[in-house]
Amino acid sequence: MNGLIIFGLLILLMATGMPISIALGLTVLTFIFGFTSVPLQSVALKLFTGLESFEIMAIPFFILAGNFLTHGGVAKRMINFASSLVGHWYGGLGLAAVLACALFAALSGSSPACVVAIGSILMPAMVRAGFPPRFGAGVITTSGALGILIPPSIAMVMYSVSTNTSLGAMFIAGVIPGIALASMLGATTWYRARKNNYPRQPRASWGERWAAFRKSVWGLLLIVVVMGGIYSGLFTPTEAAAMAAVYAFFIAVFVYKDLTLRDVPRVLLQSANMSAMLLYIITNAILFSFVLTNEQIPQHLADWLVGMGLGWIGFLLVVNILLLLAGNVMEPSSIILIMAPILFPVAVKLGIDPVHFGILIIVNMEVGMCHPPVGLNLYVASGITKMGITELTVAVWPWLLTMLTFLVIVTYWPALSLWLPHLMLK
Amino acid sequence: MKVLDHLEEWLISTLMGLATIIIFVAVIHRYLSGMPIPGVQDWLLTLNFSWAQEATIYLFVWMAKFGAAYGVRTGIHVGVDLFINRMKDKSRAKFVLFGLLAGALFTGTVAALGAHFVWANGAHYAFFHVLGIDTTGMTSGPTTPDLEWQTWIIYSAIPLGSSLMCFRFLQVAWHFRRTGDLPHHDHGHVEGIDEVTPHDVNPAKT
Repeated sequence: MNGLIIFGLLILLMATGMPISIALGLTVLTFIFGFTSVPLQSVALKLFTGLESFEIMAIPFFILAGNFLTHGGVAKRMINFASSLVGHWYGGLGLAAVLACALFAALSGSSPACVVAIGSILMPAMVRAGFPPRFGAGVITTSGALGILIPPSIAMVMYSVSTNTSLGAMFIAGVIPGIALASMLGATTWYRARKNNYPRQPRASWGERWAAFRKSVWGLLLIVVVMGGIYSGLFTPTEAAAMAAVYAFFIAVFVYKDLTLRDVPRVLLQSANMSAMLLYIITNAILFSFVLTNEQIPQHLADWLVGMGLGWIGFLLVVNILLLLAGNVMEPSSIILIMAPILFPVAVKLGIDPVHFGILIIVNMEVGMCHPPVGLNLYVASGITKMGITELTVAVWPWLLTMLTFLVIVTYWPALSLWLPHLMLK
Repeated sequence: MKVLDHLEEWLISTLMGLATIIIFVAVIHRYLSGMPIPGVQDWLLTLNFSWAQEATIYLFVWMAKFGAAYGVRTGIHVGVDLFINRMKDKSRAKFVLFGLLAGALFTGTVAALGAHFVWANGAHYAFFHVLGIDTTGMTSGPTTPDLEWQTWIIYSAIPLGSSLMCFRFLQVAWHFRRTGDLPHHDHGHVEGIDEVTPHDVNPAKT
């Protein structure tokens, strides 16, 4: 009953369009003042201590690292490297877009920024080469979402913070599904390009490939710093994020020279702005899940679902549908912070591996970014391709279908996500 | 007003940079002090960086509270605007205003709660102590584990930041009421992209 009140209140407040963090906070306050006897003191204490976790602080550091490298110059280097590798195949520039997006989004950590950075360089190039604009728009919109699956990923930090899952395990688990999804999007691109006989690029020589690789490698080493540092035990995930931020600063200012020292305060301010917004949602989501736990709502939900005889297959189906629906109205970090604490106890009770469950949620979020009505990637892609949302929706369809197929695979084949972390962390 | 704006921006950028440097130095220190370099090692071992994690957390808590207020000004806090965006302008404006005032209400409440909490956990004692007023029967409040700072100083980020945020919500609401403009954050902004000439969606056949 209390569960219905809480969620009814939350949905009502959110529907008015107020910031999600505020809707969460007001729901908690209203509930506490009106419906329960939870002492206000314990909630106030949560308000102070909720953020006091060193793990959460990986988020601002990763955002800072990403912002140093979210630059057109870095995007160009990734594109050159990608097209020197795969440009001569069918749909060459399209494949290059998939690869460049995967690399760039992994560095910058922001899907929409990836769509803009890669798209505004590759879209005109593709149209000039003779690709239909819809083809390019479809590839770039969907590939831009790859970044949240390929570590380092903010969405994964959100998941591990709200469910106490190991962040290192999540990052490692994302590698194989990330490569698999990139390959599947590439295969779709290749197949459609071959069928329609789209242009190919001249084959690059190994010398050119080496030159392009040498230029892009400084950015790509960021992934090595993070993953290598965490895996080898040199750093904790948060320290790895801070090292990544310092590394990214050094590369952007002294190696790539895309930024000057005078740009640094602006990058700091932008990063602080973005991180504070996410941390604010986190604070209020922690209050929210504190109230939920206090009312034992996740436990009741788990008992109820298990009592209905819902197995893990049925449960994951329900979870996918629920998250895809939520993806229609909200952006990924809010969905993860609100839904994960509720669904996680059920998943654990049904014997689903926390890491597998996390990867499933992340893939779900990727799909949500690429379809209407609120897919952020779709909106920024519409800006750079000058296509309407309706036309873009048609354009992304083949790749969106590929993503949904991939979602089914990830959902029902746990080994895909779990094999690598089990191998490396045992 | 301009001073407050700049102060806010300067504060959150500095906190962000400072936290990064602290963790970087602490990690470097941890590895360097493990290396047997004559002279340097002894000096490094005398330095103590065990407070770095705690300091970073507090710097980021301050950054988060004041950054959230800055975020109201830059329009980065988004909600589910799917339904209200389909309404007529007049009814949409009512919902936008309602949302902003709800923000002011929540942050205002939190500021009041926070101020009460901080007052009861040491600020009361500290102020009276400094002013030389009799403090018998009052406690000085808890301190943090590593830095041993008074927690009320750290936690005052919440009443201060929330009050500022409340003020920002009212400011934005007032501005919206007068001009109908809302601050808007561009999520797809990337530096260093050459201005793209919008290509024709239906290119002329050659």
